[in-house]
Amino acid sequence: MALKDYRAMMERCSTCAGCKFVPFEKIKSIRFGENCPSIGYHNFMTYSARGRFQLAQSLLDGRAELNDTVTEAIHSCTSCGFCDIACKVTRYNLEPLEHNIELKAYAVENGKILEGQKPVIENLKKEHCMIPGTKKANRTDWAKDLNLKDLFKEKGEVAFFAGCKYSYDPKLQKVAQSAVKLLQSAGVDLGYLGAADNCCAGRAYQMGFFKEFEESADANIKAFKKAGVKTIVTLCSDGYYTFKRLYAKRGLDIEVLHIVEYIDKLITEGKIKFTKTVPLTVTYHDPCHLGRLGEEYVPWEGKEKKIYNQIQIWEPRRPRYNGIYGIYDAPRRILEAIPGVKLVEMERIREYSWCCGAGGGCSESNPEFSAWTAGERITEANATGADALVTACPWCKDNFVNAVDEDGNKIEVLDIIELVQQAI
Amino acid sequence: MAFSREIYQALEDIVGKRNVSEDIGVCETYRNIPAQGSAHYGPSEHWTPLPQAVILPGSTEEVQNIVQVCNKYDIEFKASTTFWSTMGYIGSDYGLQIDMRRMKSVQFDAKNMTAIVEPFAIAATVQAEAMKLGLNLNIPGVGCSSSALANAFSWIAFGPNSISMGSGPENILGLEVVLPNGEVLRTGSLGSGDGWFCGEGPGPSQRGLLRGIFGTAGTLGVCTKLALRMHPWPGPADFPTYGKAPAYKAEWDNFKCYTLCFPNWESWARSIQYFYESDIAYSGHRQFNMFGRNLKGAVLNIVSDETKQLCDLQELVKDERIIKENASMKHDYQVIIAGFSKKDLEYKEKAIDYILEQTGGWKNEMMLEKGLHDYALLYLTRLGHKNLNYVMCGAYEGTFGLSGNIWKAIQVAEDAIAMKRKWEVEHTDIVANGGDSAMGCLSGMGGGGATGWEFFTNFDAYDKESTRGTCEFVEGNQKFQNKYSFGPDFCRWNSDVRHMNGYSYTQEEHDEMFVKAPQPWVYAYQYKIREAINPKNLCGTYLRTLNPEKLTK
Repeated sequence: MALKDYRAMMERCSTCAGCKFVPFEKIKSIRFGENCPSIGYHNFMTYSARGRFQLAQSLLDGRAELNDTVTEAIHSCTSCGFCDIACKVTRYNLEPLEHNIELKAYAVENGKILEGQKPVIENLKKEHCMIPGTKKANRTDWAKDLNLKDLFKEKGEVAFFAGCKYSYDPKLQKVAQSAVKLLQSAGVDLGYLGAADNCCAGRAYQMGFFKEFEESADANIKAFKKAGVKTIVTLCSDGYYTFKRLYAKRGLDIEVLHIVEYIDKLITEGKIKFTKTVPLTVTYHDPCHLGRLGEEYVPWEGKEKKIYNQIQIWEPRRPRYNGIYGIYDAPRRILEAIPGVKLVEMERIREYSWCCGAGGGCSESNPEFSAWTAGERITEANATGADALVTACPWCKDNFVNAVDEDGNKIEVLDIIELVQQAI
Repeated sequence: MAFSREIYQALEDIVGKRNVSEDIGVCETYRNIPAQGSAHYGPSEHWTPLPQAVILPGSTEEVQNIVQVCNKYDIEFKASTTFWSTMGYIGSDYGLQIDMRRMKSVQFDAKNMTAIVEPFAIAATVQAEAMKLGLNLNIPGVGCSSSALANAFSWIAFGPNSISMGSGPENILGLEVVLPNGEVLRTGSLGSGDGWFCGEGPGPSQRGLLRGIFGTAGTLGVCTKLALRMHPWPGPADFPTYGKAPAYKAEWDNFKCYTLCFPNWESWARSIQYFYESDIAYSGHRQFNMFGRNLKGAVLNIVSDETKQLCDLQELVKDERIIKENASMKHDYQVIIAGFSKKDLEYKEKAIDYILEQTGGWKNEMMLEKGLHDYALLYLTRLGHKNLNYVMCGAYEGTFGLSGNIWKAIQVAEDAIAMKRKWEVEHTDIVANGGDSAMGCLSGMGGGGATGWEFFTNFDAYDKESTRGTCEFVEGNQKFQNKYSFGPDFCRWNSDVRHMNGYSYTQEEHDEMFVKAPQPWVYAYQYKIREAINPKNLCGTYLRTLNPEKLTK
């Protein structure tokens, strides 16, 4: 779809303000009652989903132009999908997130990108990784000595996908290594793509670089198929969303599991047993791409139809992605299973979880905004009294590690795998 | 005409570079198409005028300084909070849009049951904080997504809870407003330095500033702080809910939500009279009839079930059971009773049974099912997605609006229903939902006494034929209202202050209009008020005024 194809949505937005708040029935406080990091930081309406619908109309009609301010506003969106979920509490025919990303693509098509995005995309093109400065040649260094099967050389059905962050960040590499050992010790016959292991490019899609995403996606899909992979297990939530939703839309027909789903399954089956107590009060951050954006892709082709004169419906029934079937319970079950761990919840959880700020490439392109967004979450985490903030996404962890709350305080940030490791 | 560098610099000096913008892309997002939101002057496809800049003040002092700049350079200004209604947007080509979203604090005085709110504190957040202290506030029909301050100060603010908590004007205590001339006025006890507890004194009374139920219509300056009267909340402090979106639900021991139904309008009205007299209702609203007499049972089954969508509507409408339930709910409304003790709840239950006995009414069975009961209870308590208004089409206008006596309303109800139904059948511009889509509160004032209802008329803002056809329906509806001497319809309430092209009327146009109006002195009086505090007429677009000189001629 092109931006102009979203015209009906733009004109059907009801200006209800839903895209700026936690679903109203779920609001617990004034401090944590808002949902959109972008308008939360910048304050102008332009930065909300409503504003983006309106801005897009003005751009298409030639009243506004893609100047620096507008370009910055368009890209200053973490593509976290919170507005989308809140909107769908009311509306059955608007897709604010899709539109936000399409608006970014419109800017990209017109050559309007941010300085911080250039090295990210350049690195994707040259080194198949969206972390500037990384080299393709070093991508699988983390996996040395792990006895991971190269699925192009040996037969195997389960492909482990670490993702860019876990592959290159020295601290996160250890998490990836732990995860592999954990699955191996539970008897999982694990492999990976070896030299064909590349960036999923989900962030390119979130940033509006559709062409770059599609090129990477198609190559990766081909590789997974060629290697005969039946199941992909990913550590990275961005990767999870990309495989499960975006790749599936492009023809990937392979089971996709996040590591938390696999570990949860292994605990249930008694293949992972915790032997140590971890006396820690933790709070869990639902990553956007594992939670509300982690719902399964359902193919659909159809058209709009009106009934009772003016009620708009989709024929046939269109899948409704409103976040409720994301991965929320598996990580919580894991935490509850660890002896000594006490889980305390933040106010904004599950489908209405606040974004870490790294999404949409914002940690690279809009670092101040990204850091503020992370700081908001640290404030919320610290308000629970937890000792640590646990998450299941390396982008979230990385963004939280350097963030401070509104009083300048930090919190220990743990990948859920690190916590699991401590209990074994 | 863009602001001069001198003006823009003056604005930037007040709020800092980060909080003001004249970028055309940013300003474009501060325009409104009335077809997309509720405008109460009929759907229109025109955008409101482009502001020359948008500014985000962070304090009363900053607001005051901004207003002074506007006075110095003769700039129209308009403050708004959530930007839902067209009323909040500027109406000329030389205007400054003030976005109040940086001012959102709430301070409670639990002992004295008051809350001091800033403009961007929406009702949902105020309520969430209030409930922790055992308090609640009147959330008007506009819903909890709107500013609690603007609700009370600027417009009518009646809704489900008004029967027990009163409407907006009844809940305003002390208030602080930056007048259009840049002075700061503090009314009620606040004006004499005695705190926020009273709106009527010992300092200056607010009544000269606010205009009955219509507040200021958002025009007489910028309200920066306002104390609201809070009411007791006998429910759980943490507002527990359950269920999956959008079908969030609540189960609280000491609350009951009933859909009460009656054999005819006469017994319907009599039962409401009983509620006025008995003082037992926590909330009272004819809510879900907004989906229409023929569709409400089916739509309720959709919005309360996360697995269903609007594409299920036609099948559900054909369901024999739902047809039966719709018939049962032909003359209905929802009531919430809250028990401050077990005995209190028992008493209220008995009182409802008595009212039903006296009026021949009954409780609708489908709405007693746990899922629907808990959905309705939560919805009516928080008025969350007010935007149930928008579920079916995305756009609506309120027609056949009435704020008044229920007995008068029911005399013409069936004629109004027949008129709307005829339109639904003969035209395709509005949703065909059975004619009767009247929604409104049992009482628009504390304790009871006057209802406020409107017929939800849903249309598609993207479909220009639908929008134009709805405008024609609105015209037809006004003729109907005229025939029964009901005055301006809901959808015409603001048509005398803003042209359909989005621009405000000039004083000359208003003079011509209001000099022929009934009681023209009212408008002349308002002109004198405006002269006193808004001499340059920089923000008075919704204050109806008549130059007294025209009247004497």
